[in-house]
Amino acid sequence: MFMLPLTSKKRPPMTPLKAFLGSVLFCAVVMPLMLFPSEAGAGSALKQILGPVVSDAAMGIIMLVLFIGFLMLGFPIAFTLMALGVAFGYYAMGETVFQLFVQRTYSVMANDVLISIPLFLFMGYVIERANILDRLFRSIQLAAGWLPGSLAVATLATCALFATATGIVGAVVTLMGLLAFPAMLRAGYDTKIAAGVVCAGGCLGILIPPSVMLILYGATAGVSVVKLYAAAFVPGVMLAGMYMIYVIIRAWLNPALAPRLPEQEVKVPTLTIIIELATSFLPLSLLILSVLGAIMFGLATPQEAAAVGALGAILLSIAYGTFTFVKLKESAYLTARASAMVCWLFVGSAVFSAVFAYLGGQKLVEDFILSLNLSPFWFLILTQAIIFVLGWPLEWTEIIVIFLPIFLPLLDNFCIDPLFFGVLVALNLQTSFLSPPVAMAPFYLKGVAPKHVSINDIFSGVMPFLYIVVFAMVLFYTFPKIGLGLPEYLYGHKSPRCEAQQSSLPRLDGPMQLSAATGSEVRCPWQGTGPAGPGA
Amino acid sequence: MSSAITSAMPQTLVAASILSAAGIVLAHANTAPPPFFYFLVPIGLLVLAFIGFMWREGILLGVDHLNTVIGQMFSWTILLLTFAICYEVVARYAFGAPTNWAYDVSYMLYGTLFMMAGGYTLARNGHVRGDFLYRQWHPKSQAWTDLILYVLFYFPGIIALCYSGWDYARLAYLLNERSSSTPDGPIIWPFKAIIPVVGVLMLLQGLVEVARCVQCIRTGEWPARAHDVEELEKLILEEAEAKRLAEEGR
Repeated sequence: MFMLPLTSKKRPPMTPLKAFLGSVLFCAVVMPLMLFPSEAGAGSALKQILGPVVSDAAMGIIMLVLFIGFLMLGFPIAFTLMALGVAFGYYAMGETVFQLFVQRTYSVMANDVLISIPLFLFMGYVIERANILDRLFRSIQLAAGWLPGSLAVATLATCALFATATGIVGAVVTLMGLLAFPAMLRAGYDTKIAAGVVCAGGCLGILIPPSVMLILYGATAGVSVVKLYAAAFVPGVMLAGMYMIYVIIRAWLNPALAPRLPEQEVKVPTLTIIIELATSFLPLSLLILSVLGAIMFGLATPQEAAAVGALGAILLSIAYGTFTFVKLKESAYLTARASAMVCWLFVGSAVFSAVFAYLGGQKLVEDFILSLNLSPFWFLILTQAIIFVLGWPLEWTEIIVIFLPIFLPLLDNFCIDPLFFGVLVALNLQTSFLSPPVAMAPFYLKGVAPKHVSINDIFSGVMPFLYIVVFAMVLFYTFPKIGLGLPEYLYGHKSPRCEAQQSSLPRLDGPMQLSAATGSEVRCPWQGTGPAGPGA
Repeated sequence: MSSAITSAMPQTLVAASILSAAGIVLAHANTAPPPFFYFLVPIGLLVLAFIGFMWREGILLGVDHLNTVIGQMFSWTILLLTFAICYEVVARYAFGAPTNWAYDVSYMLYGTLFMMAGGYTLARNGHVRGDFLYRQWHPKSQAWTDLILYVLFYFPGIIALCYSGWDYARLAYLLNERSSSTPDGPIIWPFKAIIPVVGVLMLLQGLVEVARCVQCIRTGEWPARAHDVEELEKLILEEAEAKRLAEEGR
């Protein structure tokens, strides 16, 4: 019953909803009251009344649980965050919250890391509309003709390249679902393998830089986007390579799964292949590599490289003769809407997390996790498991902007490199597109696939690729050099040394002191913003 | 011919309003802020455009259309942003003459882009929802939850944005505040004034969304949204769905 397709109009009975709402209210209001006895403090008039009964930290937890409850009701998340932030902020600090609110908003408007987001989105939308995909797929398919499972390998390579350039998952999966998926089925490929390849390949775009996801992580965690790109590059390409090796091995062991193409389709003069590659594969990869190279070798900032990439994408579509004013207009409109979606979410989360930290909820969560006395290894397992589970119902934007800020301050306590953590999260979020029940990629593929392909076929085809993602995460954990080698070599990046762990332990000895004074340090998910809080 | 002119009238008024506001700001970029009543001109033009839209399409669709036009016009800042940064790149790397305005201009264009598109995105239902349960519900229950949460969450949040944004922008205006990130930085109060302006536009758009919810509760179906351009995957999926229905119908 979890696998209802997107278009389902089935009506579940209302009673589970009411039960759910009731339990949310119980968890939100009653439990914190019992768990966290209160202390007096100053604030709004309501706080004068409620103050003796409810402590600030309890209010913080109420706020978080209420948010998670309302999140599931499907209201636009940005506004839920904003309203809860302002309401609880007003409760705790009175009029000051309005200044906090507008300063947080302004800090997102004047954030120089987030500028790259609309630019990369624009580049993606322009490339998506340049009708480049057919030629790209055909040329790579010709070049890979000699491999076992050549069509699947070509699909993966096309997906990886095109998804990297556009960074838009849905478009890649649907386009390849129309183009490569029927081609593979016609060639007699196993439905499951064909489906898995299209879904897994289409999701690579948010991992391999230049990707919007890494910019968002960089802005949330205060990590340099340049270093993140350098660190995610090798793991991203490695994951694409592992997908391909898996497909080749499967096709080699059991040729019935992926039969070879007939001779006349494979036998093409080398010159034709070279010309085809030079006109489709080469320009796009050159565009990506120059954008990426300029960023990684420090020639340009990410914003500058993104702007040049967007201009390059326009020039590319002019060169292919597919440039029209209408397409440019569509790209601009879609860019505006997509960036408004992401950045308003950021505004909401900025207010919410500032108030959450002010109330001491952040501190409470941190103390709770520290009191578990986890080793860094188990902390990583815990956080990655939480992110994996959050990936079932939610999309990556919400996870990164809203839930990661809760874990990020803890990285210092466990002396985990935020860069390392970021790449691990990026790998992990690949699964959020693929895992049921709310997997975007399989449902998109189902939407365009022939009728006889069932959603369960697609899910079971995707499963091996999920295992590969997990394997890649284990590999990256065991050999962090895979990702961190490049930033270390290029920028002399150093991971923090592990001594902090001992010094963090004494904090746990005493009882949890959660007065208003400890909560007054407002932690915000990024740096470079003015002072905010009661004293500002 | 005349019908073409009258139909494009409100759009022209919006464009004139944006241009006049930009003109006033640029003319006073190096002096004291202009008296506030200067801004009655762009505001008046905007109100005229609003009335024009309402005249033609009724209050609700008129607001919808106004926000759409504003969002679409400000979408073009992405092109300006691209060119501005590319110009800076060429000036810096090819001619060794970096500009002193590119940094401020780039974040201002980016901020304007996403703030001004807020109402437009809301009009197209483009703000991200955690809708894994929501999309399986009947439209009527969807509309009820939305309606309640608009009243409970949306309006208080947006009113707080207008209220605090107004004070924030007014202070910057009175002080004639300048950007501190570059020497001799540009004036910053017009950029801050975007916050209350967007607040008012979002407030109007929120009323339209509430009306949509009410209509859905009455009829049991979501009223159609105007649409200009959709994400490619959505178009492809709709096309595939239509094809499938056509095949089944035969």
